[in-house]
This record gives sequence, structure tokens and C-alpha cells, in this order.
Amino acid sequence: MHIEITDLRRRFGRVTALDGVDLTVSNGMFGLLGTNGAGKTTLMRILAGVLPATSGRAVVGDHDLSTRAGRVAVQRRLGYLPQDVGLYPDLTPTEFLDYIGLLKGLDDRAARCRQIGELLELVGLSAEAGRKLKGFSGGMRRRVGIAQALLGDPTLLIVDEPTVGLDPEERIRFRTLLSSLAGNRTVLLSTHIVEDVAQTCRQTAVLAGGRVLFTGAVTDLTARADGVTWEIITPGPPPTEGVVVSAIARADGTHYRVVSPRPPAPDAVLVSPSLEEGYVALMRSATPTPVG
Amino acid sequence: MTALLAVARYEFRMQARKRSLWISAVLLGGALVVLQGERGPHHLPLDTPAREVVGTWALLFSILMPLAYGMLLADRLVRDRKLRVEPLLESLPHAPATRLAGKFLGGVAACGLPGLAALLIAVATELPKRHDPALIGWALVAFAVVTLPGIAMVAGFALVCPTLVSVPLFRVLFVGYWFWGNMLAPGLLPSLTGTLLTPIGDYAATWLLGNGATALFAGTPGILPFLRPDPTAATAAASVAVIVLFGLIPLAVAAFLAHRNARQTWPAKA
Repeated sequence: MHIEITDLRRRFGRVTALDGVDLTVSNGMFGLLGTNGAGKTTLMRILAGVLPATSGRAVVGDHDLSTRAGRVAVQRRLGYLPQDVGLYPDLTPTEFLDYIGLLKGLDDRAARCRQIGELLELVGLSAEAGRKLKGFSGGMRRRVGIAQALLGDPTLLIVDEPTVGLDPEERIRFRTLLSSLAGNRTVLLSTHIVEDVAQTCRQTAVLAGGRVLFTGAVTDLTARADGVTWEIITPGPPPTEGVVVSAIARADGTHYRVVSPRPPAPDAVLVSPSLEEGYVALMRSATPTPVG
Repeated sequence: MTALLAVARYEFRMQARKRSLWISAVLLGGALVVLQGERGPHHLPLDTPAREVVGTWALLFSILMPLAYGMLLADRLVRDRKLRVEPLLESLPHAPATRLAGKFLGGVAACGLPGLAALLIAVATELPKRHDPALIGWALVAFAVVTLPGIAMVAGFALVCPTLVSVPLFRVLFVGYWFWGNMLAPGLLPSLTGTLLTPIGDYAATWLLGNGATALFAGTPGILPFLRPDPTAATAAASVAVIVLFGLIPLAVAAFLAHRNARQTWPAKA
């Protein structure tokens, strides 16, 4: 599903959460990056029809989200995983998914039950299908969350910070799952973990202060750090020039990777940047604009 | 329709599983049985008609058990926000009013369960000594006209009011209202006691007694005299209708506001 966002604004009292967002999202996996408070969750909530915008246009497929009819039409094709998904502790995963399935309009009982079984298998919770949700860990709750988002085979999947709180293995499993789902869907992934976008998305956008700082291919964002990413090996303290992106202690000294317009040390060597370094270079080059 | 039934079904399931519902029902119902006094159903002569016996039981249980229902239903709507399920539910394509109606139906059904169980257990204790199978039929009638309308009114207010005041404050106010509006003699202080609006089921219970006596205060002179007609079958039916309709008022207001919010549009230009 194609998403076209034009001059979208959202204010909460005197605080501007979105300040004229323009964005185009096509089929496949799209990563939305930004710091905490950048406006990612607000944008996701507007696209999920949970929150109205203050002004602007957001069109998903042929449906204008500024109207109730448009929001309902999108919600019929939507799978949404909120940032901090809540579940009813007194239900089992099977019951919770059945409830959400019914609310999504999956009336055929046999088909619904079959899909619930398949999704629980997909997220690795078949063995826990009959256990009450109140005893579930954060990771297990996330997995129930993604299962409910996939109910009804949605063509648009909006997942907000899905890997927060997951252990590394679960995070990788989850990322792979999302990637595999993006084949014939639009998957909008909001995160502040750059690695998640690097591993799954071809297209991305970066939000800061309610505005879009960058939109384009992941490789183009990475290229933002071309010529400004340095490696220094030193037994001494970290360089003061630029932003230290990583520091790995080895036998020959600590290997620092630094994003800086100038060499942070006389023996610094230019290296190929990663997406994380591209993101840091972009954030450094952006003039902070106060909002609110 | 599917969404309404789904919400009602799962709301019923979640509430009926709550231990606190059953524990409070057993404690309050049990206390009423033990402390019923000489006017209580246990002391009625053996030749008392079945409808009068059951009517007395139904009124006895209505004195305190709805307090438990009000307490338990008070967090049913606000807990969606507390549990952070609300954003997920709001992203689904059903109307918000459907969720509200489903919660109401599920809540009434779940609270009706201990109410019906209490009446049937009471009848089961009466059957061996009175040998009148009509007790069972009258128990169902009493449940429908005394217990259920009261639960419906309590549910309507208990679901919606805690969105305006906090849950603990609502609970305190509800207990105060219950004794003021149902059991405080109208001669002592101006109150709703004895009017068609008393969810304790005064008018319906008086009709069930059928012996010319008033169950509690139905029709006793007091403020709002137009709400205090003489207790008859017709006024009992009117009381049932008024109690249910009164309970639907907060739901209708909340549904209207939710519907208005859901229909909100926004301009393309700031």
C-alpha cells in the first residue's frame, strides 16, 4: 500500500509533535528512524487511525485518513503493533488473538482458529497457547503483539519500536520475521535502533523535532558519512574531536570509530561508514530547530 | 454485530473469571442470609405463596450484592487505558460505541451470574421444606424484574462515571449513593428511596410479594412525588423500564461523545 504524507502537523497543546511532515512510502519495508521524542510514535498513531492530525494530508492507498471513512477503510487492511502493546492478563494468547480476530471482522470461526494456530507457531508460542498472559515475559508479550498484528493478513503493517526490551536472539528473530513479511506488504518500522533498519530496510526516513531530516535509500543515508568516518587505534583516552560511534578494546589498543569533518587525530584513517555512522553524520549536520 | 458480540463475550469471560466477583458475592450474600432477621425469607410461614418467598429473597440479595457489582465494574472501561490495550483496540475498524455497548452487556451478564446463582441456591434450600416447584419459575421472574434491572443501572454508571472521576472516588460515592438512594427512609432526609428509580428493585419486589405490603419504601411520600406512584403491577413494570433506561443514559452520552471523536476530521491546510 502506497502512503503519501503531505505537510502533516500535530500539536499537543503548545507542543508541536509533527511540524509539516512530507513523506512517501512504497511497498516493502520502510524504516523510520529518530531519537526519542522525534515524532515517530505520533506519526505511527496517525497512520493507524488512532490519533487525528491537526492538519495536513495522509493518504494510504486511495484512502484519505482525514475522514472517518478513510480511517476505517485503512484499519480493515491494517496490522498495528503499538510501542508498548498492552494485553489482557486474564486471557490466554489463543483467547486474546481470537478476540482481536473477531474485532478485525474475521467471522469464519474455522479459518480464524486455523490462522491463530499458524501465527502462534510462527512466533514460537504454540506451547504457551493455553497459559494466561499475566505470566508472560516482555519478549513473549511482544510476540503475542506481532501475532495479533498479523491476524487477517494485513496489507499494511505498522510496528512501533518492536524490538525494545527483546534479548539479542529474539531481536534478530523478530527482524527476520518482519523482513520476510514485507514481500507483498508495506511494513512501516519505527525504531531508534539503527541496526534494525540496517538489517531489514531498503528505504528509510529520519525524523527529528517533528520534521523529516532525510528520506531515501538506506545506502544514501550511509553515504552521508563518506569521508567523515575515521578509525583511530590508541591506548590512550578517546579523541575529543567528533562523535565516537564505537570503541573496541584490543591487544594493540582501543579501536575508535569517529564521525568528524576533520581528522580527530594525526594517525586517523578514513574508513567505509556504516548506517549508524551515516545517521550520526546526518544528525550532526542538521541544524537543531526548536519546536513547540 | 460480530464486534459487539465479541466484546460482550470476552468481557463476560474476563469478569466471570474474577475471583473477587465470586468472593464478594459469597461474602455479601452470605452475610445477608445470616443477618436477615425476623422479616427475612427464612422466617416466612410454610404456606406463604412461592412468589412472595422468592420476592423476599430477591429483595434481600438486592440490598447489598449490587455494591459488589458496582465496585467491580468501576474499572472495566478505564482499565483498557491502564493496561495499554486502548491504542490497539482503537486501531481496529469497529465503532467505539460498539466496544462500550459490548462491555455493558458482558458486564451485566457476568454480574448477573452470581445474582442468579444466589437466587437459585436460596430456592434450592426452600424446596425441601415448601415442596413447591413454582419457586424455580418465580426465581427466574424475580431475577428478571428485581436483580437484572438493578445490575443494568449500576453497570451503566459504573462503566462511564470512572472516566470522569477516579475509580476509588467513584467507589466511595457509589456506596454513599446506594444507602442514600435505596435504603434511607424518605422521611429522614430527602432521598430517592421509594421512587421508581431505586435500583434495589423496591417496586418489582413489592409486586412479587403480592400481599398488599410494601417491600421497603415503594411509593412512600417524599421528594419528587411524581416518581412515587402507588405500587401496582403497572408501576412495577414502569419501574423496571425506568431503571434500565436510566442506566442507559450515561452509556448513550459516552457513546455519543466517542462517536463524535471518532468522526473527527482535520483540514489539509493549517
